Amino acid sequence: MQYEIVIDGHLGPRWAAWFEGFAITGEAEGTTVLRGFVVDQAALHGLLQRLRDLGIPLISLTPAEDPTTEGPAPHDETNGS
Amino acid sequence: MALIESKLRAPRRRAEVVRRARLEQRIDREGLPSLALVSAPAGFGKTTLLMEWLAEAPAGRVAWLSLDRRDSDPSLFWAYVVAALRKVDPDLGRQALATLQATPNSLDDIVGSLLNDLSALDADVVLVLDDYHLVESLAVQESMQLLLAHQPAQLHLVVASRADPPWPLAGLRARGELVEVRAADLRFTPDEATAYLNGAMGLDLASSDVDSLEGRTEGWVAALQLAALSLQGRDDPSAFIAEFAGDDRFVVDYLADEVLDRQTSDIRTFLLETSILTRLSADLCAAVTGRSDARAVLETLERSNLFVVALDDQRRWYRYHHLFGEVLRARLAREQPDRVADLHRRASSWFETEGDRPEAIRHAVIAQDFDRAADLVELGLPDLRLTRQDATQREWLEALPRAVLANRPMLLHGLVGAHLVTGDMHGVEALLDEIDGLLDNPPAAGLIVHDHEEFRRLPARNAMHRAGLSLLRGDIDATIHHGSRAGRLTEPDDHMGQGAAAALVGLARWTTGDLEPACRQYESARASFEDAEMWADILGVSLGLADMQFALGRLRAAEQTLTAALDLATTHGPLRGTADMHVGLAELHLERNELDAAAEHLRSSLALGEQMGLGQHAYRWRVVDARLRSIEGDHATALRLLREAEQRYNTDFSPPVRPVTATIARVLIASGDLAGAERWADAAGVDPGDEAGYLREYEHLTLARLLLATGRPAEATTLLHRLAAAAEAGGRHGSMIEAHLLLALAHEAGGDRGRALDVLAHAVTQAEPERFVRMFLDAGAPMTTLLQAAVRQDRTADLASALLAAATAAKPMPAPQGLVDELSSRELDVLRLLRSELTGPEIAAELVVSINTVRTHTKNIFMKLGVTNRRSAVRRADELGL
Repeated sequence: MQYEIVIDGHLGPRWAAWFEGFAITGEAEGTTVLRGFVVDQAALHGLLQRLRDLGIPLISLTPAEDPTTEGPAPHDETNGS
Repeated sequence: MALIESKLRAPRRRAEVVRRARLEQRIDREGLPSLALVSAPAGFGKTTLLMEWLAEAPAGRVAWLSLDRRDSDPSLFWAYVVAALRKVDPDLGRQALATLQATPNSLDDIVGSLLNDLSALDADVVLVLDDYHLVESLAVQESMQLLLAHQPAQLHLVVASRADPPWPLAGLRARGELVEVRAADLRFTPDEATAYLNGAMGLDLASSDVDSLEGRTEGWVAALQLAALSLQGRDDPSAFIAEFAGDDRFVVDYLADEVLDRQTSDIRTFLLETSILTRLSADLCAAVTGRSDARAVLETLERSNLFVVALDDQRRWYRYHHLFGEVLRARLAREQPDRVADLHRRASSWFETEGDRPEAIRHAVIAQDFDRAADLVELGLPDLRLTRQDATQREWLEALPRAVLANRPMLLHGLVGAHLVTGDMHGVEALLDEIDGLLDNPPAAGLIVHDHEEFRRLPARNAMHRAGLSLLRGDIDATIHHGSRAGRLTEPDDHMGQGAAAALVGLARWTTGDLEPACRQYESARASFEDAEMWADILGVSLGLADMQFALGRLRAAEQTLTAALDLATTHGPLRGTADMHVGLAELHLERNELDAAAEHLRSSLALGEQMGLGQHAYRWRVVDARLRSIEGDHATALRLLREAEQRYNTDFSPPVRPVTATIARVLIASGDLAGAERWADAAGVDPGDEAGYLREYEHLTLARLLLATGRPAEATTLLHRLAAAAEAGGRHGSMIEAHLLLALAHEAGGDRGRALDVLAHAVTQAEPERFVRMFLDAGAPMTTLLQAAVRQDRTADLASALLAAATAAKPMPAPQGLVDELSSRELDVLRLLRSELTGPEIAAELVVSINTVRTHTKNIFMKLGVTNRRSAVRRADELGL
């Protein structure tokens, strides 16, 4: 699932590693957009929690269509249901 | 269960804290509320505020708990809560502790007993939960909701969290029972910022600079702290602040970078490398960083206020401020991603050597060193099983990739257990097949096993699991097959395993009515459990054994079983199941008509409380109480208790051979409400033509009593012959006696007194050895008459005289004091006219209603009075004084 998350404040692109490889882009109006792919809801919430734990204010969360990548469902390595 | 002491202590107060009167007054003014909630993101000073509040709280009455991620496991969470409360008052939570040790998953019971203890307190107690957002499991949330719903006045909750807990806050707010402090409240005002920066941190900033900082950071104290650190020793603070204010990078990002860049590369490396740890000690840091001066560095960090917090007074353990730790970890991931796994691996090794397996596993999993993690998990499972940390067990196993489990049978076995405990039957059988497959055909590379002792027991355990599954599916043959196999495969000195297998096979046999073999299995199980010193399980087994002995008519044996179990409970208690032993003994005394003794045991069981009872207890004590009341003639209370029992009917796996509905029917018959009893027979689907068998025997005997009461002796006779034969074939003496005594009444009702007395003599002779009394007395006046005849003819032994004495000495069962359903005023009008000689149509004319209306009213009157015709209705009404 592709998501676009908008946060308040500027977070440099070098934070991408901390946020699951999401692409990070600063916007003119003092916000930042994170764009990327998560495996499932649990992964999404894990990401949101990282934002929360840094005290970064969340502005919006929208599913995004990315026609260029056909994200295949990654092979689930774990036992978890 | 080993608890970490530092979680139960408030952190040490820091020197440079700015007191904020406006926030402290929220508590001072009104005293502590039911719930004080501090809900704000990381780095807003929540913990600090809690400690300021509690400085004003009554000394020694504060129970502190710092939560961490692992406390999502409900058994851990409540173990800590109970421990925290017991530090305040050792009398608190005794019961809860016992339950935690016996059945840690009975969360309702644990919470319930805590609530009881708290409501009985003379002095208030404060429970502080710090970092509540880390608790994520539904089970814990639900149990906390239960606590809140019944929170006594003596308990004050103080909670700090990064997110609002899923509690009914709106309601608490509306009732004024909530004091809430949120981010907006926690933000430092310009005055407070000045006090902090220039006062506590010793800077000398111009007020315009302070305003700038306060504006840019929006009063976020963690950012102010970072700013203060960045400013220390700077020649031109204003320039720095101007640059900072003009930058729009995320505040913490900017400032943390500043702080880190000002450190020597030595310190910076140390910070980054140790950021992977949730708790730091000099030893651990040395292991992870490879440095010998770790202790000195830690002390330097603490002295410089570099976001390191001492967790104890001995300065053995520290942790990073949460926000700073996050930033460090992010930077490490960015700058040295390849080192991360290695650092975790080192931490894992250190924890393993220290014997802290859970931490060792956690780090190994993060390092993705799954083989190592799997080894550690396997060694850690027995402990988890003992302390019933089922959620943790499942979490560990599911953190490992499935492929890693493929040649580790002990882990697969653990997964089976985890599935069963959480009620997830799906896939259990496939796992069992997989394990058996590995045992029968090990892969060429071999199996990986660390826990050899448990591995030897694996075939037996697998068989037990299959037996359990079969039982759940109702496949009795398979249950017996696998259970017996498990018994054979279990080592003789594995007493726990032997006991469990025998009990399971016994249960299966009980279900098919093979009571003798079932008893032997249960006796064997009890002996094994004694060898294994599993006292609580002995009580459970004893209850089942006594029930079966009762069914076989061996009252003395049943009494011995229960008394022995009770002795055990006294020696090794308090044990859950003690209450059940008392109820069982009450039932036995009741059967012998030793009413005082029965009442005594019932009182003992009630004094222990329902938490000391097993699954059946809630309904069984009510049934005994109801029967005692019914004997005294208080049918209304008896019925109320029985209805409550009906709602709580739970045979806890044993066969449902005495449904409460049938007991209710018996009381209805005794009180004259035959219509009600008829309704039971319809609903229960019992019919005089049914085949006789163990499972419905009690109900069929109840039906026979109903047939006799409603004047159908011929049908009763046929049914009773079949029931007597079946009972005899199954060795069920008690039922046999009951069938025969009812048969005697049937013959009497049919006009054949001679035969009646013959059969009665037979029944009394059989009842004598074990003294079955109650079943005779419950048959009421007709039995008394017959007994008188028997005694006159000197036909029977002493028991008959004794029975007669008891029957006539007993208070005559008075007519029920009132109607269960009152007659309406209209119905009373009709009743008045029923007394007269008026016909139906004449009554209708008199009351100016249709004949149908009269018929409806009449039908209802008959039903409520428990009669079937007009004359009986009038007579009954006279008896009741209507």
